[in-house]
Amino acid sequence: MQNRILLLFVACFFSTASLAQEPVFPDLNGYKIKTDYPVYLPDNLWDFINGAADSYLAYGFVDLHVAEYKKGKDVIKVEIYRHSDHTMAFGIYSSERSPSFKFVSIGAQGYIADGAINFFKGNYYVKIKTYSKKEKVLQAEENLATRVAGILEGDVTMPPILTQFPSEGRKLNEETYINESVLGHNFLNKAFRALYQIGNDVFSIFIFEGTSAEEAEKTAKAYMASAGIDPTGTIDNRFVLSDGYNGTIFLAWKDKRIVVISGLAKDQAEIADKYTSGILK
Amino acid sequence: MSINRRGFIRTGIAGAAGIAISPAVIPQIQNVEDEKVIYRTLGRTGLKVPVISFGVMRSDNPALCKAAYDKGIKLFDTANGYQNGNNETMLGNLFKDYRRDSFFLATKVKAAGISREGTPSAETTAEDFLSKFSTSLTRLQMDYVDILYVHDISNPEMLDFKPIINTVKKLKKEGKIRFIGFSTHRNEAAVIEAAASKGDWDVILTSYNFQQSYRKELDAAVHKAAEAGIGIVAMKTLAGGGFLDKEKTKPINTTAAIKWALSNPDIHTTIPGMTQFDQLDLNVKILADVTLTEQEKKDILVACSQPGLFCSGCEECIPACPLRLSVPDLMRAYMYAYGYSNPSQAYSLLKELRYGNDPCKNCSGSCSVKCSRDFNVKERITDISRLIDVPVEFLA
Repeated sequence: MQNRILLLFVACFFSTASLAQEPVFPDLNGYKIKTDYPVYLPDNLWDFINGAADSYLAYGFVDLHVAEYKKGKDVIKVEIYRHSDHTMAFGIYSSERSPSFKFVSIGAQGYIADGAINFFKGNYYVKIKTYSKKEKVLQAEENLATRVAGILEGDVTMPPILTQFPSEGRKLNEETYINESVLGHNFLNKAFRALYQIGNDVFSIFIFEGTSAEEAEKTAKAYMASAGIDPTGTIDNRFVLSDGYNGTIFLAWKDKRIVVISGLAKDQAEIADKYTSGILK
Repeated sequence: MSINRRGFIRTGIAGAAGIAISPAVIPQIQNVEDEKVIYRTLGRTGLKVPVISFGVMRSDNPALCKAAYDKGIKLFDTANGYQNGNNETMLGNLFKDYRRDSFFLATKVKAAGISREGTPSAETTAEDFLSKFSTSLTRLQMDYVDILYVHDISNPEMLDFKPIINTVKKLKKEGKIRFIGFSTHRNEAAVIEAAASKGDWDVILTSYNFQQSYRKELDAAVHKAAEAGIGIVAMKTLAGGGFLDKEKTKPINTTAAIKWALSNPDIHTTIPGMTQFDQLDLNVKILADVTLTEQEKKDILVACSQPGLFCSGCEECIPACPLRLSVPDLMRAYMYAYGYSNPSQAYSLLKELRYGNDPCKNCSGSCSVKCSRDFNVKERITDISRLIDVPVEFLA
């Protein structure tokens, strides 16, 4: 038994060692740090954020470290969510982002809204909040956000695939990453989405980046098959489907990449073609 | 069904002509006939709600919510905090074109500054609560919501906290909310029991599933509340995640789990979370039939018999242990190590507990602790406690 457990712990050591460092909360002048919160794990995240936990779990949530900074009656709370990788951290960050927020250059990207400063960097999604309206406290909160971002290791760029979305008509800061059930279908997973508006037409473009051309083709053909199209032996790679739930869908793939466009009418294939060609060069 | 296999543009722009003629179609699932939908009355609210409602929390797809509405689901449940408000915004954009009396909308607002013990602080103010609710109404593009829950009450003290109670009552009087409720998923039995004897609450949203070890107390409290005219909505009916094990190799029969919750007539509706049309399809079938089949009963029995790794924290074990060990904490340490491969977290907890490397060593014979989850407590304690002897640098 002893050997078994030691072996397990050795194995665990190596698997956890690769998860990056434990967050260390920085000092903030004049504030006392309270860190007696438990480290929240997938099992008990519900205890901290209730029903919102499911969304975090869907984005590879690993753990959450919480601290409170107190000065008199003023409190600034810091929550550091660690996710499995940079894409997942962007995914949860982008699901809670709104283009109406004031964006700031903290981490890879951040914003300020209603006493909150949220940003992501590397595998981390950081949420900092105060209920104080005092200018000094809000300034201290910004300083703290910058310090936390400085301490955390990780990539400070946006996911590179976002550059693949054509810029014409693209709505700023509305890009998201959807890890599961894209468009409500269980066979569509792991897609980046950008929103577009051209005139009165609002539509979404999804880019799926598979691990291989075979995987991409298999996924695309699963969508076709669900629409009643027999994909066997087809050499085509651009189709239009009428998804009973999501309306007209333009589906195309090339190599490892799939492009899905929703929101356009079936007679707007010219627009779909233009954007698809821009992505599947 | 017609099929267009030469779709969009294999032949360039010209392909578009063919598209318009014969698009392939993903068919929608069948609707349940209206007269077959099982409705229950949500306590004194008088709202007739289908037994399946929609926990929208994770869904970002309005098409899924629209499909649910079209299939007969009428109560949609969101919260001010879900997706940082994007969830409410999505529902607002969808429902702005629907007749307001054709659906019910429930949202939740969390009071600020609540301690881990569930008690209020100086930050728990009416102003903050009102401001959040006002934001919710704006996002939802509605004049009122049908149910406003005070989000996450785990301490009966909060039921009497005047700044919040008076605020929700005022909102009800002003017509901005039709009914007052609260949600609870910790210490549920005590909170519901306390609420049952107060006249303030119209609806309670509680976690309710086949794996809760404090079933007897929770059922008694729920019954008392329902008898008092409070509408009861069940959440977390899938016992957290839809799988029986951490490796996700043993899926829960979700239909059985939801039907099991609805087999209690005091539960008026459930709010399973849905992100897929397949899940909607399964749940829509329950709208017209909540009877557990023999196989479903068997699946629930099997699921109940799986001890798993999750300690429910009932604390029945503590008085049974002659050393009064904090068994729930030790079970948590075991779960950290074996469930989450996080021995450093387990080590930290063990170090905090200071029980040494074999706290059960002086207990001869069989262990007097009978775990409500059927864990072999002594074996697990003996196993995990050895971790304290592993050099810390080996784990950090």
